[in-house]
Amino acid sequence: MAVVGIDLGTTNSVVATVRDGQVVVVPNSQEGYLHPSVVSFSPDGLKYFSVDAVARRILDPKNTVYSGKRLIGLPFRSEEVQKAIGRLPYELREGNNEQAVFIGPDRTYTIPEISGLLLGYLRQCAEMFLSDSVSAAVITVPANFNDSQRRATVDAGRIAGLDVLRVLNEPTAAALAYGLGQNMSQRIAVYDFGGGTFDVTILQVENDVFEVLATGGDTFLGGDDMDSALLNILAELFNAEHGIDPRTDQAARSRLLIAAEQVKRHLSDFPEARGDLKNIAVGSSGEPLALRFQIARSVFETAIRGLVSRTIQTCQDVLTSAQLAPSQIDEVIMVGGTTRVPMVRAEVEKYFGRPPRTDLNPDEVVAWGAAIQAENLANAGESLPSRAVLLDVTPRALGIAVTGGFAERIIDRNAPVPVEQTRIFSTSADNQTSVRIQVCQGESRRFEENVPLGELELADLQPARRGEVSIEVTFKVDTNGILRVRARDGVTGAVREAAVNVRGAMSDSEVEEAAERQRYEEASNLPEVPQE
Amino acid sequence: MAGMSTEQLVAFVRQIFPRLDQLSYYDLLGVPSGSDQAAVRTAFYRLAADLHPDRHHTLADRALREQLEMIYARLCEGYQVLTKPDKRAAYERALNQGKKRLTTTDRDSRALQNPEDSIKHPEARKFFRLGMISLGRKDWKGAVMSFNFARSYEPSSALIAQKLSEAQAALGKPGGAGSTPPKTP
Repeated sequence: MAVVGIDLGTTNSVVATVRDGQVVVVPNSQEGYLHPSVVSFSPDGLKYFSVDAVARRILDPKNTVYSGKRLIGLPFRSEEVQKAIGRLPYELREGNNEQAVFIGPDRTYTIPEISGLLLGYLRQCAEMFLSDSVSAAVITVPANFNDSQRRATVDAGRIAGLDVLRVLNEPTAAALAYGLGQNMSQRIAVYDFGGGTFDVTILQVENDVFEVLATGGDTFLGGDDMDSALLNILAELFNAEHGIDPRTDQAARSRLLIAAEQVKRHLSDFPEARGDLKNIAVGSSGEPLALRFQIARSVFETAIRGLVSRTIQTCQDVLTSAQLAPSQIDEVIMVGGTTRVPMVRAEVEKYFGRPPRTDLNPDEVVAWGAAIQAENLANAGESLPSRAVLLDVTPRALGIAVTGGFAERIIDRNAPVPVEQTRIFSTSADNQTSVRIQVCQGESRRFEENVPLGELELADLQPARRGEVSIEVTFKVDTNGILRVRARDGVTGAVREAAVNVRGAMSDSEVEEAAERQRYEEASNLPEVPQE
Repeated sequence: MAGMSTEQLVAFVRQIFPRLDQLSYYDLLGVPSGSDQAAVRTAFYRLAADLHPDRHHTLADRALREQLEMIYARLCEGYQVLTKPDKRAAYERALNQGKKRLTTTDRDSRALQNPEDSIKHPEARKFFRLGMISLGRKDWKGAVMSFNFARSYEPSSALIAQKLSEAQAALGKPGGAGSTPPKTP
């Protein structure tokens, strides 16, 4: 029985495990180690995963789901989901309990179900590679993922038949992979520039203990934006030559975007990229139009300068919130494929005044750390060479709504977890029969300016004058960063516990059903033997 | 660091847990009261390396594990309070009053929202309250009736509609329709 670490990414996912004391990364079915985070549904009921689903983003965009990480654990009407919908070609609607659901050809799928399908596929890849069953995993999430996003990630793991040992913060995983902080005290900046998101996290590491000091990021800033910048350069060249803007045609745009990504990769290693793109668009008399181009790295760098500056500004903001200067950082770790762009490395070096660490593969380093922590957790209590302990904190303050539209804080931002706090509240009306406890996260004093997480109701209160009923509200955040709320009627002395109905989340029974369905489907669809 | 053996861990929990509420954060972390932030952090990290729940999640003795987690959560609390200057100042005042823990439970209690506040019509409110009392007594029939009255006064209320459907669902369940309200003394 093996345990694995999974970096469940916006664009790509990576699976790793520790075998004979060494980290090994599970290859995909082609030649690489990145598993595109894509699931595609065909009208005849077949599902395609990852590398086999990528091409279907162009062939069948309506039935091909990617970027699920942008949606997981968020209510349909949230700003993030609405913003993502504007950029995604597949259809999402509002389902049960404010969830965003994907409209598939056969039925609707919740986002944890989609991620669960992908995780199930990744588990099978690992099982085939290791010739062993995989039952448990550590799954990484961005440090700023909130309670509902973490919970939904755990749900996705459960649906895939995985015992989720831990939801681990990505930057902590990266620092763990580098094995920093052994026998010394260090401050580390983890600069993570991926395909669709950017974040930076400051960690304090001392004798194998890792603590997150501050984190921040931009959820809509990544290598994809660099591809778009290059797409614009190519489109302008094409337009100058043929008098047609290829961006107005979906197929032409898709072809140019694929070329743009290749040009970006090439420019990371060479000062110039040349190419000859055939059949980009069709001319007025039906003739195929091509583009011969030559782009210098400096032209590309001018186009992306603004994007890179935004990441440096975020580094500045995060350091300020931790009350640190760039010179107080002992190591800078690079994570994410976009950190291969030479300008990115140069700007990071300039800002921190030291060359960043790039010795581990920036695409795989998070999964490495996850695999190490999975091994640590699976063998807890035994003496291991790495005894890393990860101290996580609550990314946001947590509180509840009180009368007057205010939010009363119960747990502070950046509180080390696990944490448990109790506050006592009262009723606002005579003979009030129930109280409504609305839970939110955020630092604002006004409830509506925070992000609502869910609510619970405590009913059957004894008739009493207002203010005479005392209600104890206890918040408990576990080591996975997941919140549990308990409300107790202080008058009757009766302990009544109620589960928070988390907005945009699947219920426990829905998760169980989905897990059962996936087990059944996996059992009846044994992997096909590829045919020549 | 050698790490703690299970026997040492058991002895530690047996010693600390019964006295948890009598120990100050300084006692728990094992640092003198004048210690600076770096010293508090080093002490906490050393304890965390041995006591973090991840180290012991496979312990068979569940009660011991839960006690250990409560001790660890209190250590986290102490670490946070002693490394934040404003909280530490508040804690020093609390200590002078004989308190060992900085909690917010004894602050003026604030009022929680009353769900009924969303209902505007006074008659709708009155029947809604009757419906809630019926729900509490598991008198589903009475609850449906009251919520229906409430709805007739304020048809737009989502709360009334929600409670009505809850009561209807309970009434429709096997054993729900025929059950009579329990006698109240």
